[in-house]
Amino acid sequence: MKYFEPTSIDEAVAILAREDDARCVSGGATLVAMMNADLLSPSTLVGLRRVSGIEGITKNQQGLRIGAMTTHATIAKSGLFVAGMNVINRAANQIAHPPIRNMGTIGGSISHADPAADFPTALIAANASIEVSGMDGQRLIPADEFFLGYYETAVAENEFVTAILVPKGPENAVGEHVKVTRVDGDFATVSVSLVLAFNENQCSYARIAVGAVAATPLHLDEADAVLTDSALTDEDIDNAAALLVKASDPIDDVRGSANYRRALIPRLLKRAVSLLKTDA
Amino acid sequence: MSTDKQVITLNINGESIELLLDGGETLLETVREQLGMTGSKRGCNQGVCGACTMLVDGEPVRGCLALSSACSDRSITTIEGIADGLNLSPIQEAMVEHGGLQCGFCTSGMVLTLSAFLAENPKPTREQVRHALSGNLCRCTGYTKIVHAAMHVAEAYSA
Ligand SMILES: Cc1cc2nc3c(=O)[nH]c(=O)nc-3n(C[C@H](O)[C@H](O)[C@H](O)COP(=O)(O)OP(=O)(O)OC[C@H]3O[C@@H](n4cnc5c(N)ncnc54)[C@H](O)[C@@H]3O)c2cc1C
Ligand code: FES
Ligand code: FES
Repeated sequence: MKYFEPTSIDEAVAILAREDDARCVSGGATLVAMMNADLLSPSTLVGLRRVSGIEGITKNQQGLRIGAMTTHATIAKSGLFVAGMNVINRAANQIAHPPIRNMGTIGGSISHADPAADFPTALIAANASIEVSGMDGQRLIPADEFFLGYYETAVAENEFVTAILVPKGPENAVGEHVKVTRVDGDFATVSVSLVLAFNENQCSYARIAVGAVAATPLHLDEADAVLTDSALTDEDIDNAAALLVKASDPIDDVRGSANYRRALIPRLLKRAVSLLKTDA
Repeated sequence: MSTDKQVITLNINGESIELLLDGGETLLETVREQLGMTGSKRGCNQGVCGACTMLVDGEPVRGCLALSSACSDRSITTIEGIADGLNLSPIQEAMVEHGGLQCGFCTSGMVLTLSAFLAENPKPTREQVRHALSGNLCRCTGYTKIVHAAMHVAEAYSA
């Protein structure tokens, strides 16, 4: 297996285009596990750790730019995730265990597009966009349009993820990520990412994304609309959750049955709302 | 032999070592199979159990998931680099004293994880120790004695 370590985005794209069957490797926490399990054996690996300009979190006018190579641990410890952007920080803190958080990167996580992963829903709740680089330069893909199916994204051949752009969102917003797991540090049986803003006791803004209940993270404008301008009573939450349950398409697997997953949606949404009510 | 192999220099336990590596080779494979250092264990080879834990630039990582080629210019510590000759490190000493091991399969990972954790958090609570060990599985001890050992070292540090 060949191994390259390009130092610029252009060089990385050139190698991806030149080599047959080349794969990016960021943290390797998923790719190498798949190679160890003989699920995958690419002929070439393109290590991204030396590519300049794609690591770390920077603040700008619009919000934050998170380099694709930024680890979960760096995001989990960062103080930059203010207001609703906090949903991303909260998700990072709940991914696996400390050693995996030292290795795994946000770019690798979303590129792998596991429907049970924590960042995909968090990025949708935060209304983020994904910056992808290729031969023709860069393009931005809204998180809502990035995940296409099980382990499938809108990243085209010879492109790779270089950054995640997170808008500040409403100033008074708050964000939370909750998940149910079989044991500490596991992938989610179901997860909910939620961003809310309050005006007195009234909800003035809501964005909900549910993980591990379909091939892609579930986000419905209609469910957000049920919570927006409501008083967030149990009935409001149940109504929003009912729409999400209806649109969900969960599977039975080792982490839980489809029915159990459906039952978790309203429960987790309530838990997230009540945590955010105490934060706000 | 495949022509895809490259000569890479790794810094392991303070020593620079030149190795011929395939791009897909993991640190665990390099350390165990090329260097014959078998203190790092292969439990699951999937990142789940922590038996392969090593420190890379001082931080615990999974040796089974780390590509060796991606570790050139980084400083790698395995369990073989923890003791000072025949003098055990404080956490090794405490593991022995408190019965923090039975079969020993998880022990190198436990010791490395705790070494890194205690270096950063010299006065942890029991709960923080348990959290730090959440990525290391032990099938024998029930964890209690490992946590005792860590708390003992922490108390000795702060005394
Ligand atoms: C034991 C264990 C428990 C875990 N638990 C959780 C959990 O609870 N929640 C969770 O969300 N995740 C979990 N994960 C996944 C982990 O946190 C990482 O998100 C994941 O490993 C991917 O990140 P990486 O940087 O390691 O990617 P890699 O393994 O390097 O790559 C993953 C895939 O993405 C591709 N790729 C990598 N970088 C890019 C890029 N910049 N552009 C395009 N393609 C790219 C690779 O070719 C590969 O196909 C767990 C992993 C393990 C091993
Ligand atoms: S062998 Fe690496 S985590 Fe189990
Ligand atoms: S002592 Fe046997 S697995 Fe921990």
